[in-house]
Amino acid sequence: MIISRQKEFDEILQLLTQKNIFVIGCGKCAKKQHTGGEPEVLDLKEKLKNAGKNITGWTVLSSACSIISWEDVLAQNPEIKKSDALLIMSCGGGVSVISRYAGMRVYPALDTESLGGVCCNEIVKELCGMCGDCTIWQYGGICPVTQCSKSLLNGPCGGAVEGKCEVDERLCAWDQIFERLKQLGKLEDLEMIQGPKDHTKKFRGKKV
Amino acid sequence: MSFISNLHSGKFIITAEISSPKGTDISRMNRDADLLKGIADAVNITDNQRAVMRMSPLAACGIIQGKGIETIMHITCRDRNRLALQSDLLGASAIGIRNVLVMSGDHPVKGDHEGAKPVYDVDSVQLLGILKKLNNGFDFAGNELAGMTDLCAGAVTNTELNETGFIKFKKKIQMGATFFQTQAVFDIKSFSGFMEKVNGIRSKNVKIIAGIIPLRSQRSAEFLNMVPGIKVPEIMVRKIKVSKDPEAKGMEIAARIIREIRPLCDGVHIMPVGNHDNTKTILEMAGLI
Repeated sequence: MIISRQKEFDEILQLLTQKNIFVIGCGKCAKKQHTGGEPEVLDLKEKLKNAGKNITGWTVLSSACSIISWEDVLAQNPEIKKSDALLIMSCGGGVSVISRYAGMRVYPALDTESLGGVCCNEIVKELCGMCGDCTIWQYGGICPVTQCSKSLLNGPCGGAVEGKCEVDERLCAWDQIFERLKQLGKLEDLEMIQGPKDHTKKFRGKKV
Repeated sequence: MSFISNLHSGKFIITAEISSPKGTDISRMNRDADLLKGIADAVNITDNQRAVMRMSPLAACGIIQGKGIETIMHITCRDRNRLALQSDLLGASAIGIRNVLVMSGDHPVKGDHEGAKPVYDVDSVQLLGILKKLNNGFDFAGNELAGMTDLCAGAVTNTELNETGFIKFKKKIQMGATFFQTQAVFDIKSFSGFMEKVNGIRSKNVKIIAGIIPLRSQRSAEFLNMVPGIKVPEIMVRKIKVSKDPEAKGMEIAARIIREIRPLCDGVHIMPVGNHDNTKTILEMAGLI
């Protein structure tokens, strides 16, 4: 699941220089996190109205990043044609897909943080660093690229205090990796020296 | 004699740490360097320590080496990718720097440019591996160099290591670290436990240089207790608190720690908070000079 959070309302208002706005939510990740489902779309719509914007209409797409075609969205939502701009309550993937086809100004209402997950109503952030070179089993299923604040692949930095990362309140990923590998009886995996990541596997520019 | 020759001769090593300036005024840095000339076997120059932006350690080492003082250039993985790290290492070797100290580096959010991109393209273990390649005449990508580097590789360690910390320590040795400079030592018993642990796995050629921070005040002791890897025992904080001259007391404590750990390790690394005005006296009190 893509983890996102709503931008501050004042920031959204500053972005929207146009008057006639159509709001689009997302029925997948943003809905599950309550950042861009129907209740959030309606709430934002009201706030924008109160701030003097003309909301031409709204919808929650089943998935903003995965649409059949823009014509299909337009057919379901003819008010879009009467609008000056679109405000999208989805992750950057959804905003990008819509921007690609809409032919008008498209603004994000959310900031996209990371690739995470949800289980038993608990939203877990930064589970995968999308490095393009997955070796997560070597770390007991805990990805150091994103769970360690410095993406260290060979062990902890020494900056943790009482088990807490120097960056925030989270526990040091390396303690968790150790515990998980211990449970799995695979502590020897920690002894392997890991080389630097090959970033051509993530970014464009890979030699063909 | 060079730092590396001294290191392997069995001499008890003295190193000391200087921060490069926050700006272009090098007078205070030069003053500290002058105070250490003839006393320290090498002077460490920090690399944007605590993620606070300062003068490049490469430039600062160049300035200090110009005074005939050998340096240990700190190099963190925080600010540079593998290209930039290698270029700095080539440059360091070319201007006569012979020693580098490799570390991950404090995260940018700890410093004065919180919004900076944390790079960490490689970690300290990997950077030691890259350094080994450069010393053998090849870059990370395997390209041959027109002139290899000649750099003695050091690394850092806390003295209270959990299991993963100890595994990383071993990896650093495997990747060519020939000396370690430790976080500040205050608790002799705990340091002795650390030395026992690392003596079990290090060869004679891997040297341990213990960090020493002379306490200056109750506040400095309490502040240090918040720094990762440092523990100032309560009794020491109290001694500083009740002392009429906390700075002198701090010097006395530092000298005693040096005397007590001398039989256990291969050297000491003096990291005062502020300048090096007292360093010579502390080393004299400890019987080292």
